[in-house]
Amino acid sequence: MSDKEPGVPPSKTSSETPVPVVEGRGIVKRFGGTQAVDDVSISVVPGEVHGLVGENGAGKSTLMRVLAGVLTPTEGEVLIGGQPLDPGDTRAALDAGVSLVHQELSLVPEMTVAENILLGSTPTRAGVIDGRTQRRIARAALEEIGVTVDLDEPISRLSVAMRQFVEIARAIARQPRVLILDEPTATLTPAETDHLLATLQRLADTDLAILYISHRIPEIFALCDRVTVLRDGKLVIADEIGNYTPDSMVKHMVGRELQLDMEHRRVEPEHGEVMLSARGLKAPDVNDVDLDVRAGEIVGLGGLVGAGRTEIVRAMLGADPRTGGETTVTLDGRRRRIGGYRSAVHAGIAYIPEERRTDGLSLTMTVSDNIALPNRSSLSKGFVLQRRRIAEFARSLAETVNLRPPEIEREVGQFSGGNQQKVVIAKWLGRRPDVIVLDEPTRGVDVGAKAEIHRLIRELADDGAAVLVVSSDLPELLELSDTIHVVRDGRIVGVLPGVGTDEAAVMALAAGQQEVDAA
Amino acid sequence: MSSQAPAPTTPHPSPARAEDEPEATPFKLSAWLSTQGIVIFTIALVLFAVVFVDGFASLPNLTDVFNRAAPIGIVAAGMTFVVISGNYLDLSVVAQVATAAVVLIAVTNAVGLLPAILLAIAIALVYGLVNGVAVGVFKANAVIVTLSTTFIGLGLLRWLTGGSIYFGDSDGPIRTFGTTRIGPLPLSMVLFVVVTILLSLVFTRTNFGFMVRAYGSNREATRLAGVNTPAVVIGAFTMSALGAMLGGFVLAAFSNTAVSSMSDGYDFRALAAIIVGGTSVFGGRGSVMRTLLGVVFVSVLTNIMVLTGLGFGFQQMAIGLLIVLAVSVDALARKTRSS
Ligand SMILES: Nc1ncnc2c1ncn2[C@@H]1O[C@H](COP(=O)(O)OP(=O)(O)OP(=O)(O)O)[C@@H](O)[C@H]1O
Ligand SMILES: [Mg+2]
Repeated sequence: MSDKEPGVPPSKTSSETPVPVVEGRGIVKRFGGTQAVDDVSISVVPGEVHGLVGENGAGKSTLMRVLAGVLTPTEGEVLIGGQPLDPGDTRAALDAGVSLVHQELSLVPEMTVAENILLGSTPTRAGVIDGRTQRRIARAALEEIGVTVDLDEPISRLSVAMRQFVEIARAIARQPRVLILDEPTATLTPAETDHLLATLQRLADTDLAILYISHRIPEIFALCDRVTVLRDGKLVIADEIGNYTPDSMVKHMVGRELQLDMEHRRVEPEHGEVMLSARGLKAPDVNDVDLDVRAGEIVGLGGLVGAGRTEIVRAMLGADPRTGGETTVTLDGRRRRIGGYRSAVHAGIAYIPEERRTDGLSLTMTVSDNIALPNRSSLSKGFVLQRRRIAEFARSLAETVNLRPPEIEREVGQFSGGNQQKVVIAKWLGRRPDVIVLDEPTRGVDVGAKAEIHRLIRELADDGAAVLVVSSDLPELLELSDTIHVVRDGRIVGVLPGVGTDEAAVMALAAGQQEVDAA
Repeated sequence: MSSQAPAPTTPHPSPARAEDEPEATPFKLSAWLSTQGIVIFTIALVLFAVVFVDGFASLPNLTDVFNRAAPIGIVAAGMTFVVISGNYLDLSVVAQVATAAVVLIAVTNAVGLLPAILLAIAIALVYGLVNGVAVGVFKANAVIVTLSTTFIGLGLLRWLTGGSIYFGDSDGPIRTFGTTRIGPLPLSMVLFVVVTILLSLVFTRTNFGFMVRAYGSNREATRLAGVNTPAVVIGAFTMSALGAMLGGFVLAAFSNTAVSSMSDGYDFRALAAIIVGGTSVFGGRGSVMRTLLGVVFVSVLTNIMVLTGLGFGFQQMAIGLLIVLAVSVDALARKTRSS
């Protein structure tokens, strides 16, 4: 790694006395009036996969950032390999082998894959960057997690899911003794998730300790040996996973019985005329796509990472430039061509982008400002904004999406990941859009909030909106969609009905095992 | 689109726990400095000057401070829009102030006051448009663009005027404007305060001001919210241009003369006032009212240096130091806020 640091080899020796690789004792973390983490102790031993679950805002990310020395705890101490860590000493934590993959991507978009993987520990020779070593280490790290990607590709050209893998490779390249993953699968499709879980299992077998955060309960049961449940910043459970069932665990997370009739499929939805339509759409990574969404219909776009779903959607709306084809919107019987993105918004389309932090939110503005932005014309009289109406409007939407804490005058950047996602949804919901396009709408939100967002999406469709959903979460896609279009290589390779389709059918098409030419 | 919010429907019990404790943000020095600090510092500085600096609290001196602060303040108030939009600063105010001053006096002498004002407004709009299109449409860097337009504008002005000094009519309207007082206050000072309040209202109350702030906070998210972002940038540079024009008028009226070199250093002094006021150079954070405080602070500080006999070189150095300090506090505050 860095030229003089010996680095800590992946420990395969200390098997008799399992000293915790990392341990937090009585951790308390307060942000102003918010008690994010309240007296929590947690530890992981080599070879253990430790799950961490809890609702949005429970304090999971905060606790992990304290363990990795990114945040200074208000109270309590962190021990790494039995040695106390100087509070908030990120470098020391890194050098001692704690590697954190943040919930939000933290790569430098303009730099290449190799540069990003070695960022912060770029190998040098006499001050000059040693490109060959850099590439070797980067390649080894990517191989370790079984991913192939061009080392010289700038990050900005990769899909969000591929960025996630690069992020993990970066953590691996530091040769950690404990790997902390904060919702790594939120952007991954089932195939990639399986791949990642298998990889993690293999790494754990080499005595790596893993701390794993996810809202997807089945993953926790598939992967973890032990689990810690947080609720409102407090520790609820720290136990062997075998003592729980998915249902009992959710109950502990939520603190009450959660009424989730998981199967919420709409019964015989009524579809009207085509409202959103693309013909011969072409753009980088989009090859000649035709797509129709009818009034009252929920169309899902499925496919593997990098298949081009986000690109199709963005080209359709004009958010990214098209090289060919056209999109039209039909409202009140009037058909309009969508040129640039703004004309799409003016035509009444709402777009919830995939990347909330870069594309969806202004993190330094308050919740109420963020919600007001796309609705500003209806919230002002002439040129003048109506502050009181904005506050009322924002408050009722925050309530609709169950924002926690429900403080609309707080900056969005101070909310937990899942709660930020709720703000993105709330922004556009307020327009009661006639056409709504959602890219990964429930990325990072907890079980309860997810069901709620699904309900809101269905409600929009029931009211006659045309809904287009991109989701890597296959169960979500199957549950929501009336029609599923499967995308591969920027092309629609098959159209499946929502009813009666199972995951296997979508995956087969997505992976190209079975050619169905529908486009 | 309908402006109705969907009916609030919450299946979850309303959780209100985080509201139990009122705002009790932990004390972060840099965050405090960059938000509240300027108020205290300005008051402290004025008190210090009143008590310790001979001649500060005299009417002639305060009038002089006001007269010098007014043009800078108006320029800074307009430029605040550019800074909040995340485009750092508008260097071309140097050229714009001088041009407006020369146009006001020279064209009034030759043709009349109204044509002079109309021409100056037209020039300001051209500046706003050129800077705004280059930065907002072509995405060019604001520092480079406005440095270039400064060269173009100042070059043109010097070429046309040959560097000559223009004197206003000794009992014309410009002279009257420059000498009128309202109570003890020079008219220019009143104009400064009125302009600041107006621009502050534009910033806090209007759709346009809101979009400037949103754009400065996150360009892409603002674009994807359907905002015409090039227009926002053009608008911000136009506010800056109109401020610079008014500043030029006030400056010309103050001395009833105009020359192409009269606005030297206005770029950095305006920037100093904006940043010292606590508006972030990262964009998205700040206000016009803060700039007002910043102007008072910088003007009083300059006056103290003048009164205590510290020369121009020292003053220049002090302003430079002040900017470095304020920018560092800003950067530090931004860092601590996020952790
Ligand atoms: N920088 C900050 N300033 C103020 N409050 C914060 C900050 N970061 C987090 N919080 C608060 O701390 C609490 C815990 O947040 P955290 O991000 O740890 O939740 P989480 O369990 O990771 O949630 P999610 O599942 O949504 O990612 C939340 O109430 C959040 O609003
Ligand atoms: Mg989190």
